Amino acid sequence: MFGQQSNPVILDLHTHSIKSDDGRAKVQNYCQWIRNRELPIDGFVLTEHRQFDLESDYSSLAKSFDLCILKGAEVETEYGHVLVFGVTEALMGEFDFSSIHLPLAQVIEAAARHHAVPVPCHPGRKRVGMSAHLAEFGIPDGVRIVEIYNGGSRDQEDTIAQAMATEHNYLGIGGSDAHIVSHVGRCATRFPGQIRDERELVEALNAGEFEALTFRDAA
Amino acid sequence: MSDLADIDALRAEFLNKDFDVQTFVFEASQLASYALACGETAASYTDPEDDDFQAPPTFPTSLQPKRRLPEGFPKLPGLGMDAGKAVAPKLPIRPGVELTGRTHLHDIYRKTGRSGQMTFFVTRMEIYDPNGTQLATADTRVVIREKPTAQDDT
Repeated sequence: MFGQQSNPVILDLHTHSIKSDDGRAKVQNYCQWIRNRELPIDGFVLTEHRQFDLESDYSSLAKSFDLCILKGAEVETEYGHVLVFGVTEALMGEFDFSSIHLPLAQVIEAAARHHAVPVPCHPGRKRVGMSAHLAEFGIPDGVRIVEIYNGGSRDQEDTIAQAMATEHNYLGIGGSDAHIVSHVGRCATRFPGQIRDERELVEALNAGEFEALTFRDAA
Repeated sequence: MSDLADIDALRAEFLNKDFDVQTFVFEASQLASYALACGETAASYTDPEDDDFQAPPTFPTSLQPKRRLPEGFPKLPGLGMDAGKAVAPKLPIRPGVELTGRTHLHDIYRKTGRSGQMTFFVTRMEIYDPNGTQLATADTRVVIREKPTAQDDT
């Protein structure tokens, strides 16, 4: 798919560490697992629940394991949960990340002003997925990308997500939604070129050249 | 669960205020029994004759306050259940040492998931020796989730 690119990179765009209240994985253990199991991913994004982890610096771990470790967030809106990539301190001042009642429109507008990218995640899931709220709230403006492979999906949740993406011309990403070490890398996203930081991730997402991957069947 | 008491108000009124104080003293045999029941095999946890004998790291989770929540805390609607324990050991807990457990509400927060809205309470017991040195903290997390609806069966 990315034949003209020499160095595609595969990132798990949806993971949680012990910084999340329900996360049971230390970041170092994700790194060890990826390398010991020779998982086909080049890194992961920590999208902690209802917060952005400003304090943690994983650069030395990233260097030690030769992995790309980036940070994002997973916030909660009336349309369900939404990943946000490219979070900055300025964006954090735009809305309360800890709220479970954020208006999706506010998240999308604020993200646009601060060059961040919002991505509704596990959209095929009841209650916390976007598709469950379309009948009540309508099709939201400003959504370009949704998560079509989620490592925690059950039953037909990913199928529903993919159908919704097809119907509305959304691009699709993949992420494991790992909360424990052994789930990292179940799903991921392939980009055509190198991604070294959050800014390059945002650029790559905005460029729209990526492909959602699932490794669940191979696990 | 939108009719639940305002979380910010609950946090302001109840967080970080001790609402229970208990004292405990454990004999070596009790600590060893606990360790064996947990499947521990290290002599420092199972053999009272060991030079470094002490309670195993998870032991503080067995210490309980008399009150679960502060006096005056509102009863919230929904289904309550245990949502996990967490221990932060700092120094060894030795037999025969009087322990003081001071308990406060450490956190209250909400989240949404497949099962709907949930409210979490984190009760923290801080455990001290007679010199006032903190030996460990033990967190108990309780979740109140909204009652299931017909949608949950689909």
